[in-house]
Amino acid sequence: MCGASLSWSGAPSPELLVVQRYVTSQARRWVIDNETSDAAYVQQVLNGNSDAFTRLVDRYYERCARFAVRMLGDRDDAEDALQQTFLRAYRSLGRYQEQDRFSAWLYRILVNQCRSAAAQRGRRERVFVREETALLNAADRRQGWSGEDEELVQRILAELDPLLREAFVLKYVEELSYEEMSAATGVGVSALKMRVKRACDRLRARWEHIKDD
Amino acid sequence: MTDELDSLDPNVRWIVTEARRPVPADAAARDRLIDAINAEPVPSRGLRLVTWLLQPRRLVLPPLATAALAAGLVGVGVLGGIAINRDGRPAAVQLPAAAAGQTQLPDSLAPRAVKFVLIAPQATNVSLVGDFNGWDSGASPMKATDGTWTVFVSLQPGLHTYSFVVDGRHFVSDPTAPIAPGDGFGHRSSVVLVRQPSL
Repeated sequence: MCGASLSWSGAPSPELLVVQRYVTSQARRWVIDNETSDAAYVQQVLNGNSDAFTRLVDRYYERCARFAVRMLGDRDDAEDALQQTFLRAYRSLGRYQEQDRFSAWLYRILVNQCRSAAAQRGRRERVFVREETALLNAADRRQGWSGEDEELVQRILAELDPLLREAFVLKYVEELSYEEMSAATGVGVSALKMRVKRACDRLRARWEHIKDD
Repeated sequence: MTDELDSLDPNVRWIVTEARRPVPADAAARDRLIDAINAEPVPSRGLRLVTWLLQPRRLVLPPLATAALAAGLVGVGVLGGIAINRDGRPAAVQLPAAAAGQTQLPDSLAPRAVKFVLIAPQATNVSLVGDFNGWDSGASPMKATDGTWTVFVSLQPGLHTYSFVVDGRHFVSDPTAPIAPGDGFGHRSSVVLVRQPSL
């Protein structure tokens, strides 16, 4: 018999036991982390355990980073916005009300921080050049993505009006409900629906324009 | 959410799918954040109650509720004036019309049929979108007769914002109606005031 094969001799090796123990402990931690409510972590912080806030950071950092990058289009600006968001949340934790969802409260801070970052950037704001050729290539490549695709998506999103982009990203990228979006942005549900629809129309029209050229 | 994604234009759905990809985490940035947090004093809740009591709150009332509240306050003021009347007039006087109007409020809340018209002979399809149908272009399709597109919609009394969607892509405001303020997206919406039957 040729070729490699796996054999099971009965008792697990010491190395396998170590791996099993590690995986089990990680899984247990994951379960505990996901079972512990945000409000419980907030309570722990307010009781003096600042490490509990690290759990909240780990829980929301990736999602917030994605939103900040999609909104600002620049990783350095996004990192600044993230830092300020979590710091403001930490400093303001005493004003957090348990009846509010922590995620919605955090998004509200993040949305404001991204708006402020974009406003401060002002004229410095990077203008994404409309490279028709690059977008055309992207339309043809939809079946298989390359490393350039994220930049192309950023470019397409950056062409949207910031308020339309904000509504679109919250709705379809972050998958918030309209009620959650309203809480995060301070904008009414009806207006948000209008913004999302217009964002979709603009994006669709943009692609149709590319195809027509 | 999957259903919502499926309803999107394929190109837009593609953008969404790609935009959902996680942004590669920068471990150093995350560590800098944790360091910055650890350098902060631990937040306390000592001032939470005071902060809660002092923080400003915004009360948003719809126009009808505002009108009802104003009528109620007028009524309270009139009744209060009667109660402290010192010139010997009898207390039994007629309530002002504004206060009496409150009894008609439920009837005035009844929706009314509103006809929307757009003359667009070149259009192949037109629909009405607005805050009353969630800006859904499929909710209120309009029917054409010799290039005049019409639809009847049942609306609650009050202000409504709307627009026409021509051929599924062009937002067109109503040329015969006021423009909604504060749009700022390049598209213009119109405003219609549906009056209460009693007014």
